[in-house]
Amino acid sequence: MEAGALAHGHATGHHEHEHHGPPQAHRSSRVEPALLGMLLFIISEVMIFGAFFTAYFFIRVVNGDPWPAPGTELPKLIAGVNTAVLISSSFTLHWSETALKADNRRGFQAGIFTTFMLGATFLFVQINEYVHVGFSPQDNAQGTIFYGLTGLHGAHVAVGLTLLAFVCIRGFRGHYSPHEHRGVEVPGIYWHFVDVMWIIVYTTVYII
Amino acid sequence: MLNPLRSEGEAFRFLVYVIVAAAAVIALVLLARALF
Repeated sequence: MEAGALAHGHATGHHEHEHHGPPQAHRSSRVEPALLGMLLFIISEVMIFGAFFTAYFFIRVVNGDPWPAPGTELPKLIAGVNTAVLISSSFTLHWSETALKADNRRGFQAGIFTTFMLGATFLFVQINEYVHVGFSPQDNAQGTIFYGLTGLHGAHVAVGLTLLAFVCIRGFRGHYSPHEHRGVEVPGIYWHFVDVMWIIVYTTVYII
Repeated sequence: MLNPLRSEGEAFRFLVYVIVAAAAVIALVLLARALF
């Protein structure tokens, strides 16, 4: 299709006038570069989380150590409410993307801003949990794994919030339209991935 | 076939499936702990 368009450009003599700047990058994949980049990034992220989960299962299953460490308690209820907050942010993000595709600009802006605020709330509560949880990463292996897994996830939320901040700013400046929304779609995929990882972290670390 | 890395919509659907699967796993584990 693209080759056909290029050939058409050459045939009609318009090609030289359509493209300015350096030559376009060669593409060997049928997937869009932005989407392919996020795809490869998320696959590498799954491997990073996998390494941390390996450490978690090693001390719980292989070593048979108690979880959490004796004398410590994890705030399941607060973390549960926080989980609901984070999952809600994925729903508002999906609502926002749907509104954008339907050319509902106000709905999109409200949705993306709400998503950002819910994500920020999650991170704030997580930091507050660290302050009050009562043990440190250096206290025992369980503490190291707890802070390692939740901290790794928290870092991803921080990155996601940075992306959402850019989407918010660009969204309020009117940079997106029903046909041009790749800048919302790609961070959206990342945000849903962050939520999926949290559900697994919450289930294994706090509940099971 | 569902590919959560293809679009935001599919990623969202995948998230919903994960929520359902996690709820099922939690229910099974809590049930097993209560019984044995």
